[in-house]
Amino acid sequence: MAGLKLSGIRKDFGQVRALDRVDLDLPGGKLTALLGPSGCGKTTLLRIIAGLEAASGGSLHLGSTDLTDVPAHKRKFGMVFQNFALFPHLNVRENVCYALTIAGMPKADAHARAAKLLDMVQLSAFADRKIGALSGGQRQRVAIARALAQEPEVFLLDEPMSALDANLREQMQVELRLLQQRLGITTIVVTHDQREAMTMADQIVVMSNGRVEQMGPPQEIYHQPANPFVADFIGKANFFEGVIEGGAFRNGDIRLELAPAAQFIDGADVKVAIRPEKAGIDDPEATDNTVTAKVTFVRDVGSTRDIHLDTPLGPMIVEYAIGENSSSFEVGATAELYLPATSLHVYPARERKAAA
Amino acid sequence: MSTVDPELLDQTTAPKRARPFAQLPLPPANLTLWIIILSLCVLPFILVFAISFGQKIEGAGWEWSFTFANYQRFFVGALWPETVTFLYLQKLWYSLYYAVIAALLTVLTAFPFTYLMTRLSRKAQSRWLVFLLASLSLSEVFIVMGWDVLLSNRSGLPMLFRETGLTDWLKETGWFDVLRQWGLANPRNVKFKTSEFATILTMSYLVWPYAVILLYPSLSRLDQSMVEAARTMGAGPWTVIRTVVLPSVRLPLIGTVLLLFVFLLGTYVSVTVFADPSKQTIAISVYDAVRGSTLNAPFGAAQSIILLVTAAICLVLGQRLSNRATA
Repeated sequence: MAGLKLSGIRKDFGQVRALDRVDLDLPGGKLTALLGPSGCGKTTLLRIIAGLEAASGGSLHLGSTDLTDVPAHKRKFGMVFQNFALFPHLNVRENVCYALTIAGMPKADAHARAAKLLDMVQLSAFADRKIGALSGGQRQRVAIARALAQEPEVFLLDEPMSALDANLREQMQVELRLLQQRLGITTIVVTHDQREAMTMADQIVVMSNGRVEQMGPPQEIYHQPANPFVADFIGKANFFEGVIEGGAFRNGDIRLELAPAAQFIDGADVKVAIRPEKAGIDDPEATDNTVTAKVTFVRDVGSTRDIHLDTPLGPMIVEYAIGENSSSFEVGATAELYLPATSLHVYPARERKAAA
Repeated sequence: MSTVDPELLDQTTAPKRARPFAQLPLPPANLTLWIIILSLCVLPFILVFAISFGQKIEGAGWEWSFTFANYQRFFVGALWPETVTFLYLQKLWYSLYYAVIAALLTVLTAFPFTYLMTRLSRKAQSRWLVFLLASLSLSEVFIVMGWDVLLSNRSGLPMLFRETGLTDWLKETGWFDVLRQWGLANPRNVKFKTSEFATILTMSYLVWPYAVILLYPSLSRLDQSMVEAARTMGAGPWTVIRTVVLPSVRLPLIGTVLLLFVFLLGTYVSVTVFADPSKQTIAISVYDAVRGSTLNAPFGAAQSIILLVTAAICLVLGQRLSNRATA
């Protein structure tokens, strides 16, 4: 299956630049998630890929074919819309058959294909229903079957889970992922939900303000965020600022080792991020990299406990999974906060304050 | 009585609060509505219906009576059974014919315009709507006068045709003979007065803004993502209109045709000015009977009743048609 290559995609809406020099290589047969806060340009990028919106600059290739100026109805990328955009004047089967009918496929063949697709999304019993008689989850399945009927080379989904209930959402994420793996179809999903992206994607493209912030497999994005924005947007992170001194971090009297040593010149202002679950409290293994802190709040939600601390570096949160640490933390008690050298991510402090 | 029995309060307040007038046989709001309907619709209709059975007194007015002579005259002529004439059925036929063709022509042309209009920016859309609404303030007389000038033989398009040599060109290419067959030319030049073409064109022009205003809400509410979904599935612009847009607005479309049709059944000025005297409509005939040359109110009333019943039958048929289309 051919991959999709975007080079220098730009999009201006009047004075507003919605997308700025987006270069992406989307490997064939993989599921890529476009992830970012609302207004970051991810939906615009998806619409440009579908051909529903013309880019102001740049080019789009599928394999070796230039698709930049090809209209949407010639690209025939199957797309699932946020509101599913099913045709209310047609029943479920006719909706799924739509692409085949307008392409002039004989009715019997089209119905056979529709039956197969409806079976795949477990809606065979609903073929003659009106769209109005379906639930949200069923509508989504119809939309998926309809988009796949024409056997598209690229499968696009725009926030496909946003119209579903929370518990149905997780179930559909897994189902959609399994379906995509079974078909091995190049798929792009737009989402603002990082859990959704991490559940489904082979690779995640994190976007903000019309730019690509980082692109990579979910675990890499989570464990090696390329900048403070990604660290903050994917998962939770504690941030604090200071300067570099001899490859280590320094803020007043506090000195933290960094591993590997920071590649910054001495005196450079830096911003450091650490995941709440990577930090520890009163850790017996801790020899250095500790900060004296005071417990301000304990948030126990059963599966995890968040301990909020007040430190000289600013407020921080430590997260313990259930059974990970049996000690009880009293509000007001003093604790030694352990910040392991290998878990500290260092970024230049001058970088765009993109978070939020 | 200074104290209220709590039990009584329990029984009465809860259901009463929801529908305070539930105990009255006819709630005041409903009553007012019925009075309005009775006095403005039902009573005048009954009056006209009653008059339609009256009879004319030669050289004077008319008197109450109970005769079917007016209806007989409409369907088979006054001198039946000696001679039979279908003059008034023919007038009814022209009423229906003009109204149907003009309503269809209007919707056929207003639909693409309205669809394209909804694709414009909000600002441009509201400008068009204000312009079209403003054009409704022009009276039928005024509009027909304009078309009269435009289409008249001495000063309008025929003169332009002759002066620019278009008439000669039409004669050379043979199109002139075709126009003559269609009744749009006399031996010397093209003519639009009188013609069915000019009648229908003017009627269509009259109701065109109504068609846009009636079609606009459903077309502007049309979910654009459905159009986009169709495009991603390989539908070109025409296929999108045929398979997505038209089916989505089928009911408002049929509704608009029916409404314009009923409205156009009563067109008066356009028909008197542009239609050939032999091809005039019931509306003209009713006016002649009630106010005009013949002065025969009972016969005018009978014609009105028949026109009304015909319109009702057409509406019911249209309703059936649209029901079958949705089923």
